[in-house]
Amino acid sequence: MRKHSTRLAVAIGGASLALTACGGVESSTGGGDGGGDYPSGTVEMYVGASAGGSSDLISRQVSKGLSDELGESFPVINREGANGALAAAEVAGAEPDGSTIAIQNASLFVITPLAVSEDEATSIDDFEVIQGVSRDDYVLVTNPKSGYKSLGDIKAATKKVTYGTSGVGTGAQLSCALTYETAGVDAEAVPFDGGAPTLTAVLGNQVDTACMQTGEAIENIESGKLVPLSVFSDERIDYLPDVPTAQEQGLDVEVAQYRFMTVPKGTPDDVKETLIEAMQATFETDEYKAFNEQNSLTPMEIPGDEVVAQLEEDKQRYADLVEEYDINLGEG
Amino acid sequence: MDLNAFADGFALVTEPHNMLYCLIGVLIGMLIGVLPGLGPSATIAILLPIVYSVDPVSAIIMLAGIYYGAQYGGTITSVLLRLPGEASTVVTVFDGFALARQGKAGTALGIAAIGSFVGATVSIVIMTLVAPVVAGWALDFGPQEYAALALLGVLLVATIGSGNTVKALIAATIGLLLATVGQDKFTGAERFTFGSLELQGGLDFVIVAMGLFGVGEILYNLEERHGKAHVPAKVSNVWPSRKDLRQSSGAIGRGSVIGFGLGVLPGGGAVMSSLAAYATEKRISKHPERFGRGAVEGVAAPETANNAAATSSFIPLLTLGIPANASMAMLFAALLVLNVQPGPQLIEERPDVFWGVVNSMYLGNLILLMLSIPLVGLFVRILLVRPAILAPLTALITILGVYTINNSTFDIFVMVVFGIIGYLMKKAGFEPGPMVLAFVLGLILEDNVRRSLIIENGDPLGLVTRPISGVIFAAFLLVALWPAAKLVFRRRKAPAVAPADRDHTTV
Repeated sequence: MRKHSTRLAVAIGGASLALTACGGVESSTGGGDGGGDYPSGTVEMYVGASAGGSSDLISRQVSKGLSDELGESFPVINREGANGALAAAEVAGAEPDGSTIAIQNASLFVITPLAVSEDEATSIDDFEVIQGVSRDDYVLVTNPKSGYKSLGDIKAATKKVTYGTSGVGTGAQLSCALTYETAGVDAEAVPFDGGAPTLTAVLGNQVDTACMQTGEAIENIESGKLVPLSVFSDERIDYLPDVPTAQEQGLDVEVAQYRFMTVPKGTPDDVKETLIEAMQATFETDEYKAFNEQNSLTPMEIPGDEVVAQLEEDKQRYADLVEEYDINLGEG
Repeated sequence: MDLNAFADGFALVTEPHNMLYCLIGVLIGMLIGVLPGLGPSATIAILLPIVYSVDPVSAIIMLAGIYYGAQYGGTITSVLLRLPGEASTVVTVFDGFALARQGKAGTALGIAAIGSFVGATVSIVIMTLVAPVVAGWALDFGPQEYAALALLGVLLVATIGSGNTVKALIAATIGLLLATVGQDKFTGAERFTFGSLELQGGLDFVIVAMGLFGVGEILYNLEERHGKAHVPAKVSNVWPSRKDLRQSSGAIGRGSVIGFGLGVLPGGGAVMSSLAAYATEKRISKHPERFGRGAVEGVAAPETANNAAATSSFIPLLTLGIPANASMAMLFAALLVLNVQPGPQLIEERPDVFWGVVNSMYLGNLILLMLSIPLVGLFVRILLVRPAILAPLTALITILGVYTINNSTFDIFVMVVFGIIGYLMKKAGFEPGPMVLAFVLGLILEDNVRRSLIIENGDPLGLVTRPISGVIFAAFLLVALWPAAKLVFRRRKAPAVAPADRDHTTV
């Protein structure tokens, strides 16, 4: 119920915090106004989610890598709300000197706009994407008691099928909605507050099925408490090699969450290059690779321009599908 | 239960370095618990990088210590400064702050520490014996059951206030309305956000509570102080007397069981447990009018229950892989970093982690009790500080606490607005407690009623026809109709009302 989070700097310097709180004084010092001295001070990494979720953990892992590579501290600042739009706004409005950066989620730019009104939607054009990070795949699961063993069983269902999702405007909702709509199944979404309550509901057979991030479900899949029905990637994922994709099962559904590093528009090239190099060095460490595996994340360490191309393609594709099948993600 | 694994776990905990990590964890936990806002989840997030360099069992013992240690610390500001940092300590404020006003802050904090220790320990014992069995229980609670439980909670809120019931109901209704602020979680529609992205996620409990309780109280005192001279509070009796202990022993016993049971539920178990424990005590007390005016049971019951609940909330994490709250989510993450996958296989694959954590809690709670004794004596001296110094200090704590939640200055303004509302409420004789609690329960209630209706195809009867939700609704009716029934009994001059009381205590 509680959504608590904080930033590293707060714990360390209560005094500077009071200053920031009262006067809105920027406590961080950015570097990189030319020259190769970046970073010359603390670099704030905003996250649009609370502490503990996969977005937060990925940022913390990269933050640790960056600070090992570049020496300065990269505190993670949780700015939860509006599917990440609040954190995005902080970065978009920050000084473009490399002192404020953020790993952001694709869903904010390609899926949330389908659920909210146009003026609330965040555009990728407000940022520079400098580096891809990793992909988080969704999996459709059901309780063994439900009796469904494949998507085929669900297609043959004679009653309404309920599916748990982690909320409105998320990839979990879109992947399930597209699956049931394209399969012509009578289904209804039951939104929960994030992954953990969704997991609880499907484990307790309170909902028939659920779309979840692989990392949240994998332990219960491996121990047989959940039956995986489908993944939504273009090919099978390494962590669930026996689970067929939706496309293999005849449904044109491909949805993934992926994350990438963004900086404010106009950030100098040398700052971006320093960050890209440090991120790539981080990706090479065993610790980071182990982290990806523990959290069932697939590396997507592609250059920023490829990420942008992918975002634009996905956005168009989702918008077309949602229109074609008349799917309503929200009333926005 | 595997006795060998259990014993091995104990051996592990008593290794000196593990004891040291346990001590560090609970000490940090207790200190951050004192500051509202900077919660255990944030602290664990900050300390996560340390985990890499420590062996897994020690690390997790320390991080778990931060979590349950914070539960002890949270009581201190609730009792002394009327600042409940967690939904589950709001109920403690009623009698805790009243006791502090009477110069019995030491009694309140002492009984809270003892209750917390007993509650947590009872909870660990039950957990040791039956963790895997009760884990399944959490899964039987679907949206229908949570809806019923939240509804029962709202009813209890209306009955526990110390003052006027009608005013408590009005405050609770406003609390329920406040819960609707933010994006509709089912349709994405904006509700009372006035186009502000900041309000899209709804209001945060801590912001509302800090405003209504903390800032409201400061404003009210500012005004009052011009009227009369400040009389320093007495802090002589630092520890509860034998009589206090005798009086609260029943409350502590019942609170332990209630706390354990409700704590297993991942969606709001802790706040429900403190509420239910308090309401139970008030209902079975021979002098219910003492509650809200400084009854020691009124502190003992909720504090015991919320600590028992904090302990049993480890069950869904360790046996099902479900993090029940933000702190549990951070522990989940920490376990992953340590290459331990929390879930159904944990107890077999990593018995050292499972039993290490569980058994470290026996030690941790003992340390916390021993720390509490000197610290309570120290903390109550806060009340000797003149209001002219204490008020700005309290204001600073609330601002700091609220800012740390989401690093947002907007939240501070929201808190100030609630502070003004809290001040006006106090002037008009309204209690902020029912409003804050109804706000928390409203979030649970609305979402789960709507989820239930989706699942039950729009049939409201589906909410009451399931076995568990049916029982909760029966309890709801009993609580709702009990005052009326009692009235009827009295009119008939039936003498044997008292023994029947016990049967009608709720969950």
